[in-house]
Amino acid sequence: MAAARLPASLVLQPRARTLRAFSTSVSPATRSPRPSPSTTERTSRYGRPLRRKALPPRTEKMAVDQDWPSVYPVAAPFKPSAVPLPVRMGYPVKRGVPMAKEGNLELLKIPNFLHLTPVAIKKHCEALKDFCTEWPAALDSDEKCRKHFPIEIDTAGYVSAGPSIRNPKARVVTLRKTEEWEKTKTEADMEEYVWKDSSSEKNILETLLQIKAAEKNLELSKEELLGTEEVEEYRKSVVSLKNEGDNENTLSQYKESVKRLLNLT
Amino acid sequence: MLKGMTRLISSVHKLDPGRFLHIGTQAPQCLAAHLDNQVATESPRAISRTSENDPAKHGEQHEGQHYNISFQDLKTVFSHGLPPRFVMQVKTFNEACLMVRRPALELLHYLKNTNFAHPAVRYVFYGEKGTGKTLSLCHSIHFCAKQDWLILHIPDAHLWVKNCRDLLQSTYNKQRFDQPLEASTWLKNFKTANEHFLSQIKVQEKYVWNKRESTEKGSPLGEVVEQGIMRVRNATDAVGIVLKELKRQSSSGIFRLLVAVDGVNALWGRTTLKREDKSPIAPEELAFIYNLRKMVKNDWQGGAIVLTVSQTGSLFKPRKAYLPQELLGKEGFDALDPFIPILVSNYNPKEFESCIHYYLENNWLQHEKAHTEEGKKELLFLSNRNPGQLERLCAYL
Repeated sequence: MAAARLPASLVLQPRARTLRAFSTSVSPATRSPRPSPSTTERTSRYGRPLRRKALPPRTEKMAVDQDWPSVYPVAAPFKPSAVPLPVRMGYPVKRGVPMAKEGNLELLKIPNFLHLTPVAIKKHCEALKDFCTEWPAALDSDEKCRKHFPIEIDTAGYVSAGPSIRNPKARVVTLRKTEEWEKTKTEADMEEYVWKDSSSEKNILETLLQIKAAEKNLELSKEELLGTEEVEEYRKSVVSLKNEGDNENTLSQYKESVKRLLNLT
Repeated sequence: MLKGMTRLISSVHKLDPGRFLHIGTQAPQCLAAHLDNQVATESPRAISRTSENDPAKHGEQHEGQHYNISFQDLKTVFSHGLPPRFVMQVKTFNEACLMVRRPALELLHYLKNTNFAHPAVRYVFYGEKGTGKTLSLCHSIHFCAKQDWLILHIPDAHLWVKNCRDLLQSTYNKQRFDQPLEASTWLKNFKTANEHFLSQIKVQEKYVWNKRESTEKGSPLGEVVEQGIMRVRNATDAVGIVLKELKRQSSSGIFRLLVAVDGVNALWGRTTLKREDKSPIAPEELAFIYNLRKMVKNDWQGGAIVLTVSQTGSLFKPRKAYLPQELLGKEGFDALDPFIPILVSNYNPKEFESCIHYYLENNWLQHEKAHTEEGKKELLFLSNRNPGQLERLCAYL
């Protein structure tokens, strides 16, 4: 009986459908196309972007005789994947070695000069040559250079902490050659007190001359007056007073020398 | 100590002045009764006082002792020279007693041995605040007055560089400024101090004041001073003339000149005076300061120059500054060089004892613990033997 068979098949069919539902999960032909993880679209079936696998670092592809200035043309932070050197930095733990370069903060913190290799510098010089003049022919030896343009080189070898790695004194260049405008240095500019040609010298000279005139003793000349021992001591005391400032010692020295100079008991 | 002081102050306020004086006259008996317990009555006087009232005879044996300045001298010589607190003390005690101290003795020794043919030597008293520089200066002025020198005393040079209401353009030199009020006051005091000299010294030039008035050559210096006092406009110029004439004539030997300036660092400092357009005035633009600077130079003979540098009253100088170079600055030092710096320091123990005895004698210290050893130790600690500080402390007791 067909009618009797129909319900049976009808009944069967849902079961088969459910079976088919299970079977659809297994067989890929009947279900809608789903991307596999190995395709280029990086979405997982759960909607979260999948992380692509890390590529091998650039260092593996670098040739030994490559053009290094093109890897580091400018000052750039240390890139462990771009520097083919097996550098280690850090304090080792017990029974360990310094940390490797991958993910090493210490290597990032310090300054690097990877952009200033000799090859790079040579390239810079070549490029700058167009803008330079000839080296003066007369300055052909180091001694001559030092003689005409002496430079003072101060090196500081100490540890210091601060916001910058540069030593601020490195910006100061001292050339020993005196410039024209330095001749206009006045007394107010002097770093330390110089007795010669100072007003103190003038004062003492005048005073002594007046004393000598009062005593009718005009034979002594200016140089002789300035050369006496008392004046020498006075000069020393004034210089120390001016350079060191007032303190008990310098003041008493000054007092004694003036007393002796002016013949006060 | 503080509670005691406040109690005492409140009790002092209750007493009226009449009653206070009454206690004062009863002093000798009370003092005798008090001190019988401790020391013989003569020794306080011996420690703190000396009968030698002539500064010329003061020597090391008088160190620490007070000597009396007669009222006559007070009126003439010290009409404007003494520090204000000392003047109040003189009025209270009805006597002017000055302590003989080592810096002043040193200076007197130099002054006694001055060679008047040589250029005038400059002596500078320096020291911390309240150590007695001005009074040492006054001591030397008293000495010179007794020796019949002409005293040119500027009591406080700082007064000339600040708080001047009326600045006139100088009649003599258009670039400079006159200070008529201060100049006329100073001339009045100068006249009282040196009355007898003013008729003796004759001016050596003719000075024309204005179209109608002039001072002829050969007339006494007193006339110039009178002119300055009467015609206040010309007062500063009169001062300038006085200074010039004195400087010129002191070398001739008729008289000896003492130039005493208190607070000489004002001459080379800054002023607080301004022109009408609010631009500041430099000290050398004030005629008085300009002339005074010439006076303290050592290009004249026949006298001495005694100066003090003080921070009190000075402008734009830190409170703790007391050393000569700090207060004079570079310009001042170069102008005064060479000079003899004399340090005035705090009391030494002997002087401190003497000062306390002097106050006790005059019944200035009314506190019951004042004459005891602990009281003295406390005063010593609080004042650190600084004369000015001690005087201020004792004023409360």
